[in-house]
Amino acid sequence: MDVLHYLSIGFSVALTPLNLGLVLAGCFIGTLIGSLPGIGPINGVAILLPLAYSIGLPPESALILLAGVYYGAEYGGRISSILLNVPGDAGAIMTTLDGYPMAKRGEGGRALALSAVSSFFGSMGALLLMVIFAPLLSKLAIQFGPSEYVWLMIFAFTCLATMVGKRPIKTVVGVVIGLLFATVGIDSGTGILRFTMGIPNLFDGVDFLVVVIGMFAISEVLILLESWARNDLKLTPVGKSFISFSDIMAVKWVILRSTISGFLIGVLPGTGASIASAVAYGTEKRFAAGKDDHFGEGDIRGLAAPEAANNAAAAGSMVPMLTLGIPGSGTTAILLGALMMFNITPGPLLFEQQPNIAWGLIASMFIGNIALLVMNLPLIGVFVRLLSIKQSYLVPIIVMLTFVGIYSIHGDTFDLFFMILLGVFAFIFRKLGFSLAPVILGLVLGEVLEENLRRALSISGGDWSILLNGTMTYVLAIATIAALIAPRLLKVFKK
Amino acid sequence: MLYDRIFAGVFLVLSGLVAWTAYYFDVPFQYEPLGPKAFPIILSIILAACCIWMMIKPDQNTWHPTKEVLTKIVIGLVIMVLYAVLFEEAGFIISTTLVGTIFSWLFGEKPLKAFLYAFVLSLISYFLLADLMQLNVPTGLFFGDF
Repeated sequence: MDVLHYLSIGFSVALTPLNLGLVLAGCFIGTLIGSLPGIGPINGVAILLPLAYSIGLPPESALILLAGVYYGAEYGGRISSILLNVPGDAGAIMTTLDGYPMAKRGEGGRALALSAVSSFFGSMGALLLMVIFAPLLSKLAIQFGPSEYVWLMIFAFTCLATMVGKRPIKTVVGVVIGLLFATVGIDSGTGILRFTMGIPNLFDGVDFLVVVIGMFAISEVLILLESWARNDLKLTPVGKSFISFSDIMAVKWVILRSTISGFLIGVLPGTGASIASAVAYGTEKRFAAGKDDHFGEGDIRGLAAPEAANNAAAAGSMVPMLTLGIPGSGTTAILLGALMMFNITPGPLLFEQQPNIAWGLIASMFIGNIALLVMNLPLIGVFVRLLSIKQSYLVPIIVMLTFVGIYSIHGDTFDLFFMILLGVFAFIFRKLGFSLAPVILGLVLGEVLEENLRRALSISGGDWSILLNGTMTYVLAIATIAALIAPRLLKVFKK
Repeated sequence: MLYDRIFAGVFLVLSGLVAWTAYYFDVPFQYEPLGPKAFPIILSIILAACCIWMMIKPDQNTWHPTKEVLTKIVIGLVIMVLYAVLFEEAGFIISTTLVGTIFSWLFGEKPLKAFLYAFVLSLISYFLLADLMQLNVPTGLFFGDF
């Protein structure tokens, strides 16, 4: 059994004292960040990325830490959803629908415990699916040539455009801006400078970290400034209720279904936790219709489904990131960028050539999930108390960490000014209804896309028909067209 | 005036600039058929097409900031720029205390309490970040020999 062999390598990496400590720290920090209202997983990972880079962790350890923050924050996001009716990020919106009514009924403790257990089974189930399918996918991907990669990326962008956000055109604009950002700097093929405007700091290209922090963290601070009115939020008391065994038995099939659908949606490039939880909630609501259905009024099935699904999707979105080098969500795009900063290009060869990174990460996620469950049941009181932290204490810390993080990379204040400029741009961008994930995805994939396109055309001597050559390119082209028209067809059928 | 139209207009001009710059790249030698020009030009064409589409079918304005909100955002921005200016010269502790105080105050803290919080925060963070995590944190001219 190849898989067991590799998994044992993974555990030997994940169980070293440093990495074990980092998993625990990552999960703890993640839950903390997730439970603070206003900072979602993507901001948490973005703020910590330069720090993890600057303290000089080895790549697999940095990845283990950041991934821990990511799924820890997906866990933590439910706390403010349930107790404050304020979702920490888009993936937690569905959790408020039945979680908050339960808390208002005085069953906050039960809701928190049930959602922790659902999250745990959701991510564990998705991890098992990942162990089975990721190696298969990477075996298939080894045969991919440049044309297939070009199509894969076009497919990812198409999924993103048609499934995320209200206006597909705005997603396309975001992707193109990200791709254009990626062309700044020295061209690897010919060595000429592109779009540097004579600024030496841009010769190496736009620094990934500066863009990520500027666009996410700085614009978030501006948005917090605008929407500052949090002090009148009422914290619903947790109450003494707790989960019972019959609760878990009542939702076991809900969790299983939501885990599988969540994982599959997570694997699809461009679609992440928010869509997974919405689909799972909708499905369960339809399943339960007529049979003692209290969805929206504090039904435990309505709480278990989105929680299992969004955690399963978080694990699922790691699969295309690790096996194809194509991230499934904004946060995994940041993780991919982190790997690239360590000169590691994720892709089909990662699983065979650097098993310590791919399998070390997977093994650490098993450990992290157990740690999260343990942390979240008895320590829930600590995290709940965090909800009452005032913004006036929180914002100075966020601003400080972003500045220190960016300055410590090159020790140059140019990066700080550039970061603020990008933050202002991102703020306006968000206010006009654009989303930031497409920009980051474009930025991360820009170089790879251009390189593969140029390589494909070198092979064919400039003949564009190479993009439709071989079975796999046809399959991917058809999948792209399907992603383009499927949402419209669904709309027509619904009518 | 709809914001979407302004935005699309600006980016239409930008896409034109990108295409123009890319077209006049000076490429002394090139071994592959596509070269460094094609990709940016393709992107700028897509961007321009999207912008024209957005101008024809813009969204309604959903953002209606009040004067008060705008002032707050501008103050926040000015402070961040100030932070970037002071960061190296004045050093981490002084600049963080100053900027932290103003931010804390902007989010509703009383001035004195905001100052105390920011001061303690910057002192603790300095030792955590510079000594414990060994990060490159500027000490500033004032504490230069520290």
